Amino acid sequence: MRTALILGFVVLTGTCGEISLTHAMKRVGEVREFSPAAIGWVLLRAFREVWLWIAVGLMAASFYGFLTMLSWYPVSFVVPATSLAYVAGALGAKFLLRERLSATRWAGVAFISLGVALAWTDLPTLQHLKNLFTVSRDLIFAAALASLAFYLFSGWAAWRFFKNSRSRVAENVADFTPPLSILKPLRGLDRGAYENFASFCRQQYPQYEILFAASDEADPAVPLVRGLLRDFPDIPIRLLIDPERKGTNDKVGKLCLLVQEARYPLLVITDSDVRVAPDYLRKVAAIFQDPQVGAVTALYRALEAPSFGAVMDTMGSLSFSGSALVARAVEGIKFTMGSTIALTRERLAEIGGFAPLLDMHSDDYELGRRIAEKGYRVELAPEPVEMEFPSESLGDYLRHELRWLVGLRHIRPGGHFGLLMTQGIAWAAAAAILAPSWKAGLAWLFAYLIIRLVSGYVIGAWGLRDPVVRRQVWLLPLHDIFWFFLWLASFAVNRIEWRGLVFTLEKGRMIPVTTRPGSA
Amino acid sequence: MEQIVSSTRALKLKTYIVLFLMIALGSVGNTILDKGMKGLGPIDFSTRATIWQGAFHTFTSGTVWVGICCMLLFMVCHMLVLSWADYSFVMLFSAITYALVPLLGYLWLREYVPMARRVGIVLIVFGVFLVSRTPPRTTPSISDHSAN
Repeated sequence: MRTALILGFVVLTGTCGEISLTHAMKRVGEVREFSPAAIGWVLLRAFREVWLWIAVGLMAASFYGFLTMLSWYPVSFVVPATSLAYVAGALGAKFLLRERLSATRWAGVAFISLGVALAWTDLPTLQHLKNLFTVSRDLIFAAALASLAFYLFSGWAAWRFFKNSRSRVAENVADFTPPLSILKPLRGLDRGAYENFASFCRQQYPQYEILFAASDEADPAVPLVRGLLRDFPDIPIRLLIDPERKGTNDKVGKLCLLVQEARYPLLVITDSDVRVAPDYLRKVAAIFQDPQVGAVTALYRALEAPSFGAVMDTMGSLSFSGSALVARAVEGIKFTMGSTIALTRERLAEIGGFAPLLDMHSDDYELGRRIAEKGYRVELAPEPVEMEFPSESLGDYLRHELRWLVGLRHIRPGGHFGLLMTQGIAWAAAAAILAPSWKAGLAWLFAYLIIRLVSGYVIGAWGLRDPVVRRQVWLLPLHDIFWFFLWLASFAVNRIEWRGLVFTLEKGRMIPVTTRPGSA
Repeated sequence: MEQIVSSTRALKLKTYIVLFLMIALGSVGNTILDKGMKGLGPIDFSTRATIWQGAFHTFTSGTVWVGICCMLLFMVCHMLVLSWADYSFVMLFSAITYALVPLLGYLWLREYVPMARRVGIVLIVFGVFLVSRTPPRTTPSISDHSAN
């Protein structure tokens, strides 16, 4: 334990010191002249940087820790052990300094760390290495247990949420029915689009309107909306056509227009692939009786899964629902989902409307986050909505999940890294490999399978009432394998493809990647 | 296009020159400090007077001061190169000192180098070779920002 603590101290303070020094020098700017006077001037400017002094403090602390280590252990142990600083430094450079580490540079990190460890190791250090191995193995066992505890906790959170919300709804679907506007930005045609739209026209709600927005008349969704106008003459439906592109995120651009045209104080925004039950609006609006509620969002389930990619997508939404319910139980929900975003005009105005989200990748997530930041609660609708998952190939599924993970890494790096603790299959496999016997190894794998499947069934089949999960929950471990490798890949990918265009992300904003002229 | 290529070459050249100076000054400085301190003999920490005496001998030794100057110059080079190059590039490249020290010991002092250490040296050299195949800078410089 003492070894791990001092080693962690030396590596962390040293790395943070070097990163602070780099940050200070980057703020000073690139040195282009090397005359003594110019160098003197650069140094003078550097000494005015507070980051430089933070660096000096951290490096001094690291050096002191290093000397302490040398007084406890032989140099042949200390130097190899501190070669961990290369890995920590590379991670710091990537996440704090935003350097782009190519696969070649990562390979350099691996070779150099291993090389330094080998070049400075001798036989007496083998005992220390053995101790380090034992400590690492214990940590892996602890992480595997933590991931299993996470699955159990998410199952319990789902059981509690659905049990409470169903009994509350049974008691009273309140008569709180303020007039509301449903906003639907359109782009292209989803499976079952007409039925999805029509489900909003069959709402048992006294006063509401539906507003659709498309970029042009040629959008294939436009004839369907015209069909709704014909089939539901009693429902106030309006179709807005606006070719102007207001920002990188076209959906938010359309929402800016829709909110201007909406008549009522309560706004309900849903993606075009969402289908709802007739009492959906009543249940959502009832939550706004509590003035502390800033927004309402909803979990979702699949209507059916027409392809293997869609089945994996369903398993993904089940896992996401589990994480959302854990977040709700622990700290409350601080985001919204595209399946449902309901909020009042007043709250929307407090966060500056939709305009600040015009270039954001995850506009739905951001909107909820901003509402929560203002001190309001984000609540979950008592029942999930239904979604028509597209008939996508496995490749399509992997690409869009990777895009989602890359987006998450940019808007919430801590949360993205925290997914490490939800990678149950990877931890269970590691624990099985390191287990003292094959029986103990098998026990780890069985524990993962049983706990994951039971928890998944409670969330997906019992809670969300998802027919795909009910039939094919046994495919959940396969989803977890894909998910683990996608999560790893998301650390190395910085570009995303979004509706045929390529973007990089900076603090959640999509920056289009422009091709240099003549560089075809 | 030619301008981009030549500016990339200029950036690489100045990076390698300053890194070479940094590595040389660091290795030489450490060696001279080592020699200077060993020449003074072990410092006696038993009483306050002997500690002060040891400090006095240390800071009046010409060899120690040469070593300190080398280390200060090493630090200046380190700061200069970080003003434009990636930290991950500089950090990994400077790992070559871990390979140079035992290598020089073997070549000049005929010290015995065990097999594990030889393999380690080869791995470090190969790792540094890989890093040298990557661009020294992957983030925009302050001047790039101000130009936009």
